[in-house]
Amino acid sequence: MDKIARIDMGAAGGPKVTVAGLGDYAGLGGRAMTSLVVAAEVHPLAHPLGAENKLVISPGMLSGTVGSMTGRLSVGCKSPLTGTIKESNAGGQAAQVLARLGYAAVILEGKPAGDDLYKIVISKDGIKVIVDNSLKLMDNYPVVEKLRKEYGDKVAYMTIGSAGERKMLAASIACTDPELRPTRHCGRGGVGAVMGAKRVKAIIIDDAGVTMRPAKNPEAYRDANRKFVEGLRKHPVTGEGLPAYGTNVLTNVLNEAGGYPTNNFKTGQFEGGSKISGEAQAELEIKRGGSATHGCHRGCVIQCSGIYNDKDGKYLTKQPEYETVWSHGGHCGISNLDAIAQMDYMDDNFGVDTIEMGVTIGVAMDAGLAEFGDEAGAIRLLEEVGKGTPLGCVLGSGAGITGKVFGVERVPVVKNQALPAYDPRAVQGIGVTYATTTQGADHTAGYAIATNILKVGGDVDPLKTEGQIELSRNLQIATAAIDSTGMCLFIAFAILDQPETFQALLDMLGSFHGITMTGDDVVALGKKVLSAERDFNTRAGFTKHDDRLPRFFYTEPVAPHNVTFMMKDEELDEVFNW
Amino acid sequence: MKLETLKLHLNSDDLHLFFPLFQKGVTVPAIVGCTLKSLLVDQFAIPVDYVTDRITTIFLDNRPVDDLDRTIIQEGSRVTLSAAMPGLVGATMRRGGFYAALRQGISYAADSEKTSDTSGTVRLKLFNLLLAELAPTVLARGLILERDEFNELLRNLPPQTKHSQQDTGMILLTATF
Repeated sequence: MDKIARIDMGAAGGPKVTVAGLGDYAGLGGRAMTSLVVAAEVHPLAHPLGAENKLVISPGMLSGTVGSMTGRLSVGCKSPLTGTIKESNAGGQAAQVLARLGYAAVILEGKPAGDDLYKIVISKDGIKVIVDNSLKLMDNYPVVEKLRKEYGDKVAYMTIGSAGERKMLAASIACTDPELRPTRHCGRGGVGAVMGAKRVKAIIIDDAGVTMRPAKNPEAYRDANRKFVEGLRKHPVTGEGLPAYGTNVLTNVLNEAGGYPTNNFKTGQFEGGSKISGEAQAELEIKRGGSATHGCHRGCVIQCSGIYNDKDGKYLTKQPEYETVWSHGGHCGISNLDAIAQMDYMDDNFGVDTIEMGVTIGVAMDAGLAEFGDEAGAIRLLEEVGKGTPLGCVLGSGAGITGKVFGVERVPVVKNQALPAYDPRAVQGIGVTYATTTQGADHTAGYAIATNILKVGGDVDPLKTEGQIELSRNLQIATAAIDSTGMCLFIAFAILDQPETFQALLDMLGSFHGITMTGDDVVALGKKVLSAERDFNTRAGFTKHDDRLPRFFYTEPVAPHNVTFMMKDEELDEVFNW
Repeated sequence: MKLETLKLHLNSDDLHLFFPLFQKGVTVPAIVGCTLKSLLVDQFAIPVDYVTDRITTIFLDNRPVDDLDRTIIQEGSRVTLSAAMPGLVGATMRRGGFYAALRQGISYAADSEKTSDTSGTVRLKLFNLLLAELAPTVLARGLILERDEFNELLRNLPPQTKHSQQDTGMILLTATF
């Protein structure tokens, strides 16, 4: 990955492609690349859907290699949903293919004046930007089907659905999986709307004629990767739990803990939880001839995804994730897996973030647009989004906008981004991350449970209140670093428990780049990324007062534990003091 | 309490039919007043190593438990057992885990001392990997089912296990595979 492509969509005479060396961005990948480019090059007060914003697409530092779990793709910009800097990442094939073509980043700049819609074809022969108005307002599944007829099955596709073209703030960017289904989404923050604003419908990435990225020390890299894979396979989470049940295995556990937000965060337990659990979902998938074990990209050994078939055994959608099952399920009082899977498919097809969309429907239910538990009503609301009706455009702009339009008081957002599937009153520490992350409410911003290995910020006494602040800080630092490697965050479980697996990861990074990596280097990278992101947000006008949860979390106790969010503002303000 | 006893011998392929029941929770006879560790090791006969290494997430009455030796089981206690879970919150719920501080407001506060042992029942839930691994042990020991729970289970069991039942009372069901 020795080059960066810049595509000026607003250039006089039509889009213009420039390819240059890495310059100041040498050695970066993934979130480090997207955030440092946006922080340096995008005016913090730019309109997110305007010509000044940039959409930065970057594979991780190890993407495109023979290394396992290296297939995450980061997309960054100024978010139209939050107004903050944004990094949203996904699996699928795109990162591996783009990295093998040598691109550390592809940056979409400017904005065309006309109404034409474009597709971008990236191959070893260069980059072509082509007008294709036949793709207008097509959704993700049909648009990929149409493109496959032209470009075949040996490429990766990145597309937006109708929601992205309509510049809905919940719009995502889809990346195709190994079966060329548009199921892996850079979902959070409205990155699809930014792509839509630049009038780019699809990016076709073709790595025919290129090979895997070579490591500086191939033998050491292969050896480190072998040890890394062994570590993942022997760990009970990455080697057993996730392959068997996927992330939805968390439903039963969160529900038991009283931390499962139900009926728009009114209570912490859902009576229908066991009906939509990962255990129930996996059994149903297998019974219908689908699969409970499937990788989102080649080279994945965890295989936490699956294939969800309908009652007739026909493909309906990929295995819905825990957060999706929650947002369209318990959050809306719905306990029918088929209805949830149907909405997962609709989200993927229209191109919207499943968390934002499910939370929005729950807020709409609080506004009286449907009853909690009304699965037909929820699907009907989602159909409005797909049709682009005025109501659909409101809903497609997320929970915050929907709450304002319909006068709902209980709106679970931070920096206008919907909260994920863990009630911060029951799990206070995750509330610290929701409140303070640079990205808006995001569970994955503090997800890399490797801080004890990294010794980020020193050891923490888990029995003290201030431990929660320290832990959130350390988790956010570790996550920013792992998001830059292109590694799936789920590797963190094996790293947490198995020092030899963490060492294998460091050895992979070191042997690939021909350097010696230490835990301190990883920490420094994470801090560098977070500092740039915080600085951008400050210049965009965000203050400590934006690092707060909505008031109802402080005033409404949640059952069964009857607790409120207890962290003091002054404690939250300490998270980024390092 | 009227308690009808029923023993079943089933094909191992039928074990999964009990999984929805275990996820919702089943009532099992137990000596209460003991520690949680004693309940699992001495009464349920689960090997200590398995308890330590495999049952990494335990809830008592919806509260994550950290210290099995200082957690006392009472009549009607709700005990939930899970293997290691993914995600930050999965790690947070782990027994005595590095991230336990993140859920400190809901953690089970350790009991000071054991009370006297008496016969009673506990409500037991099994999740994820532990369903297949522990359900046979629990079933061999016996479940106390409400009549409607039992009738629902019977609807899913193979025809040869159909059993003429009274309309009222509870069932002590044991099953081997």
